Amino acid sequence: MNAQNWFGELLHIHIAPAASYEMEEQSQANLIAGKGIEGDRYFLGTGTYSARPAVREVTLIEAEVLEHLEIGEPQVPGIKLSLSPADHRRNLTTRGVPLNHLVGKRFRVGDVVLRGARLNFPCKYIEELLGIPRLFESLLNRSGLNCSIEVGGIVRPGDRIVPLED
Amino acid sequence: MAAPRLIMKMTVADLHRGAGDVNVIEFRHPRRSQLPTFEAGSHVDVHLPSGKVRQYSLMGDPSDLSKYVIGVKREDAGRGGSAWIHANLNVGDEVAVSAPRNHFRLHDAAKSHILLAGGIGVTPMISMARALKSEGRAFVLHFFARSRSVAPLLVDLEAEMPVGSLALHFDDEPNTALDLAEFLKDQQVGAHLYYCGPPGFMAWTRSHSAHWETGTVHFEAFQADMDPDYLPEAFTIRLNSSGRELLVPTDVSALTVLRDAGIPLLSSCENGVCGSCECGFLAGEPIHRDAVLGPEAKSNRFIPCVSRAKGQIVLDL
Repeated sequence: MNAQNWFGELLHIHIAPAASYEMEEQSQANLIAGKGIEGDRYFLGTGTYSARPAVREVTLIEAEVLEHLEIGEPQVPGIKLSLSPADHRRNLTTRGVPLNHLVGKRFRVGDVVLRGARLNFPCKYIEELLGIPRLFESLLNRSGLNCSIEVGGIVRPGDRIVPLED
Repeated sequence: MAAPRLIMKMTVADLHRGAGDVNVIEFRHPRRSQLPTFEAGSHVDVHLPSGKVRQYSLMGDPSDLSKYVIGVKREDAGRGGSAWIHANLNVGDEVAVSAPRNHFRLHDAAKSHILLAGGIGVTPMISMARALKSEGRAFVLHFFARSRSVAPLLVDLEAEMPVGSLALHFDDEPNTALDLAEFLKDQQVGAHLYYCGPPGFMAWTRSHSAHWETGTVHFEAFQADMDPDYLPEAFTIRLNSSGRELLVPTDVSALTVLRDAGIPLLSSCENGVCGSCECGFLAGEPIHRDAVLGPEAKSNRFIPCVSRAKGQIVLDL
């Protein structure tokens, strides 16, 4: 196993109390090992989701993806859109973290330990919910990562995110 | 289920009581200065603390996205939503309100617009009339109410509507009466009809406009289709071809009754999603509970696996 040579930062935390509710920004969140984020729809069992994958205790997305969407990069005709951290419906917005490379890997967010489970797959649901045409295809392959929580705890914006050995 | 809409926790910024036991309520968002857009005729879902969800038309100006304004008439005989709002809602309260949706659009192709509003059914008509006025298009809003003193939002309408575009009809002023049958008898070329009001008003208008050209009659009926409190009631189906009448009991689908009666209909999901069993209806008041029919189709199509009706519905079978 190669050493992973990166570190990043937690920028935003968002949760929603139930399916379709607006995400609400948090100044901190309590991640419960094996369950989810306290107060979030997936923790409460009131979310909208397909039956698989089973793991979505916490979902992450890269701030870099949002910035690329904003400037229309890569240049796909007609795909250039503004998606704010409050609207993407992932829980944690990160910077400097190669999420697509973390399937099966462990990493630390502050004191919390997460394990990458599966790449998040965008859904048509969010496109309709936000009324942003082509959002679904815009997010293909860069919709973030679903993770399980191995070691719970409190996370806050500004927390360092670092890789761990398996 | 219908397409999802974002649900926002909004704040009651203003609330005042108007004529006809109507509370006019203004919602603002604590963080968003610009709310999701809407057009004349749009409505929002209001999520009550009990879990009940109620639809209310937006009355405000679509170009002012700083707030949503609804009018809620207290219906003591209703299902409890409006009574709760009247008894409990105060300025400063937080309420979950959905992004708007429009099933009741003005049609650009129309040469003239006839708006018929019964009582509190005037709420979507206010934004429609304002839009038509600002676009300089031909329209008349006919507003029916029991009396002038209980006509909701009348003061606003009288202040805003140009001469000749507002006609008032009060039950206690016989000289203001309008013979709807006569009025709707001849459809002018290019005229579109829009109507909204209590169930009797809806049925009456529907029956008198049945001969209008397809696609020119539009109505808003906040029905039980997505209502979690909805309890099925028995109704009857009349088959247009034979005149035969079939009873649909509370716990049996219309599709099952039709099938048992030997009427061949395709079916697949039996969950209101696939549209296989779709058929036409010619008269009656359907309770659409499917996710298939668009707003236009709802005026003449029916999905019998999940949808129901009040009283009797005549199916084009």
